[in-house]
Amino acid sequence: MSARAGYQAFTTQDRTLLWPALPGPWPALLAAMLDQLEASQWWSPEELLGQQLHQAAALLAHAHRHVPFYRERLTRAGLRPGAALTPEAWGRIPVLTRAELQQAGTALRSEVVPGQHGRSHEISSSGSTGQVVTVMGTRLTQLFWDALTLREHLWHGRDFRLRLAAIRPYAAGAADYPGGAVGRTWGRATQQLFANGPSFSLNISTSAAQQAEWLQRVRPDYLLTYPSALRDLLLHCRAAGITIPRLREVRTLSETLPPETRSLCREVWGLRITDGYSSQENGLLALQCPEAEHYHIQSEAVMLEVLNEAGEACRPGEIGQVAVTSLHNFAMPLIRYALGDMAEVGAPCPCGRGLPVLKRVLGRVRNRLSYPDGRHGWPMMGDIFHAGVEGIRQYQIIQHGVADIELKLAVDHALTGEEEDKLRDWLHLRSGHAFPVRFSYAAEIPRGPGGKFETFKSLIA
Amino acid sequence: MTSPTTESPPPRHRRPAPYRPLPSAHSTIVWPALPAPEAAAKLAVLQQLDQSQWWTPAQQFSQQLRQAGTLLQHAYAKLPFYRDRLAEAGFLPGKALTPEVWSRIPILTRADLQQAGAALYAADIPQGHGATYEISSSGSTGRPVKAKGSKVVQFIWDVLTLREHMWHRRDFAGSLAAIRSVPNNAADYPKGGAGQVWGRAMQGVFGTGPSYVLSIASRTEEQIEWLQRVQPDYLLIYPSALRELLVQCRDRGITIPRLREVRTVSELLSESTRNLCREVWGLGIVDLYSTQENGYLAFQCPDHEHYHAQSEAILLEVLDETGAPCRPGEIGQVVATPLLNFAMPMIRYAVGDLAEVGAACPCGRGLPVLKRILGRTRDMLVYPDGRKAWALMGDMYYTEIPAVRQFQIVQHAVDDLELKIVADRPLTSEEEAQLRGWMHNRCGHAFPIRITYHDDIPRSAGGKFQDFRCDIPEAAMPAPSGG
Repeated sequence: MSARAGYQAFTTQDRTLLWPALPGPWPALLAAMLDQLEASQWWSPEELLGQQLHQAAALLAHAHRHVPFYRERLTRAGLRPGAALTPEAWGRIPVLTRAELQQAGTALRSEVVPGQHGRSHEISSSGSTGQVVTVMGTRLTQLFWDALTLREHLWHGRDFRLRLAAIRPYAAGAADYPGGAVGRTWGRATQQLFANGPSFSLNISTSAAQQAEWLQRVRPDYLLTYPSALRDLLLHCRAAGITIPRLREVRTLSETLPPETRSLCREVWGLRITDGYSSQENGLLALQCPEAEHYHIQSEAVMLEVLNEAGEACRPGEIGQVAVTSLHNFAMPLIRYALGDMAEVGAPCPCGRGLPVLKRVLGRVRNRLSYPDGRHGWPMMGDIFHAGVEGIRQYQIIQHGVADIELKLAVDHALTGEEEDKLRDWLHLRSGHAFPVRFSYAAEIPRGPGGKFETFKSLIA
Repeated sequence: MTSPTTESPPPRHRRPAPYRPLPSAHSTIVWPALPAPEAAAKLAVLQQLDQSQWWTPAQQFSQQLRQAGTLLQHAYAKLPFYRDRLAEAGFLPGKALTPEVWSRIPILTRADLQQAGAALYAADIPQGHGATYEISSSGSTGRPVKAKGSKVVQFIWDVLTLREHMWHRRDFAGSLAAIRSVPNNAADYPKGGAGQVWGRAMQGVFGTGPSYVLSIASRTEEQIEWLQRVQPDYLLIYPSALRELLVQCRDRGITIPRLREVRTVSELLSESTRNLCREVWGLGIVDLYSTQENGYLAFQCPDHEHYHAQSEAILLEVLDETGAPCRPGEIGQVVATPLLNFAMPMIRYAVGDLAEVGAACPCGRGLPVLKRILGRTRDMLVYPDGRKAWALMGDMYYTEIPAVRQFQIVQHAVDDLELKIVADRPLTSEEEAQLRGWMHNRCGHAFPIRITYHDDIPRSAGGKFQDFRCDIPEAAMPAPSGG
């Protein structure tokens, strides 16, 4: 049991037992989980993998027995339930694509869920493409989500008694401008164990000006938002000279965070960004290191592999597709699920944590730029706002073909031919290729399903 | 909010704990383990203790008062016995408890406790505290004190047991032997008793090696034979039995090869027994200070031979004769309030022991230090002038009469001390004179001394043994001079 950053008192389930606090059954399990995570983060990658394979073996045995879809798949891969699981055997299991997941549908659901995993529930992930993927979770997968949420808070030394503001998608009417919504705690994960400060929520479908005004009113210590919304907000604040006085840290999730936004945040507010990598189907996958701007895979909950085109594990510096296995989801096992993201593997972290490193998360395959020679890249376009053209409120780059890129703009005034040339040059410079570019204009560019905004999307199948 | 915050100074002198995998209660959840609810609760409290031990005494005290406030509230509402006591001290239900109010609450003596009897039992306790049970403390005088506990009381006992094991960095894979009082002849020689794990506290939290238990009623030779058979890594025993064991092992040249640590409990441990253990087995002793009514009061520091009060479970005070807290170096009576016992609130209970307050511990733990525990106040030596003093006889074996196997001093009257002896042979008159001289020297007074010979000096009902016992009836006590 090693030291945590600062002491935060546990909450008690019984008013007469204040100190030491006696947490309720699930919160106590959460504490037990945190305690183990505290130790395991320092293990070597080999030790972590050894433990993961133990857990994965239990998952495979369950899937083999209770999910016909996998019985066949695992048998074909030569896996026998009950046999010790080796890395080689694991590597033979075929990757599950998003298309397979959508096609298989309920066939991936387990006929039986062990009682101790708690009640099952459905999680619907809208996905950027608008195709709904429904997966199942359990009380146990929720427990892991909560434990990792707490780990993330503890890693970054947050004080739970302070004020948290979140700008995210909410159901219409739930957190609309100007009132937003107010909560007495930070949410399920933290309130189970810790005394909490208040939280404030605002729907992400609000303008940057509205968000800035709201933030000045609620005066949060921490802000959680999506990278695209943050960038808009920062640009607005820079232009209007707005600071959020108490704010001490900005957290982002759900979309790819461009390095330029980190710089912009430092420039405008003097604050660092803490980013997280998650997916709705699998929960938190990788969390930003407390000491560096890369990510640690959450190996205790997920087996996360980065695979090259041959299906082999990428080495540090290499980019490949992300395949994840939620190790404790026995309601709907997702085994080696390629959720459609690409990531770059990082070298071991100097912080000492053995949790493997992702240097960067590049985003969806569908956010991948295709070059005429067959090469692919993730256009780190950076900010169009650096291109020297005034009056751009929003932009989106859409690749229709290897020789057809559309630059969609929402602008305050009609652009001149000269301004369009500037933007075209900027795009050529950032992509390193003289793609043909056509311009289109819209009053507003809406967010995609799930509230995500894609700066770049490829429609090449 | 009074709880310490992120501004607390960083703890010092921490050593990383050895990794001890948590057993999972579920076959499908291998790693990270999902413990059973009870085990998870223990861990959740243990985690808090891991932090709170490094707090300053002032931080700890403010948390103790929060918890004591809820205990007082409960006692006030449910127990007429306490209502007046608390009201007179200025306690107002619903108001935060202040140190001033706390210090005005009258001390509950052992006699009060015996007299009050069932008047101290709460008719009902908050549901979260679980079922109640009876604890019977035999007491060395043979007059039992009946106390009650609850599931929560047992729970915190278990948690502290775990803390003590972890403080002393024990190897849980090892085996544990206990020689102690066991009811119903359940662990008689030669067989003793055996368990697959170390005990209830460890259940579901840590995997452990086996445990063995032998009744303290067995003879020393039998204990030695048994220890050689079970070959434990750790031994838990009463100090008096340990001393006899050590003397015999020394004389017969017996070692217990695997043994790595000796723990003592239940009686006063003398410095000379610590030295003897180092001499004979080359091992240190880890002593625990507990009473049956109150549970654990203090544990030996992992780095020193003094004790840390277990402030998370007990508000422990050492008070001088005026009722003021003793400062480091001063000796006073131990007053304990078990903070989690709502079944039988014992508020400022003078357990009957004396202790010397120690200075802040260099280990960095803020848990208050007891330099030494001096034993029962009622077993003080009484001088003809009414003065009382702790009878610090030290070890008879330093008189260098190896024939003496066991001894006990009983004071029947101010002018009648009996020295009971178990010896291999009758002592010579020279040796007897030597013993009288030693006692006079230790007491600083020429008490008349009778020497009597016995085959065995039995333990009290609870298996405890006292080197010194004062049997002067209360009525026959001389009035203290000048008092």
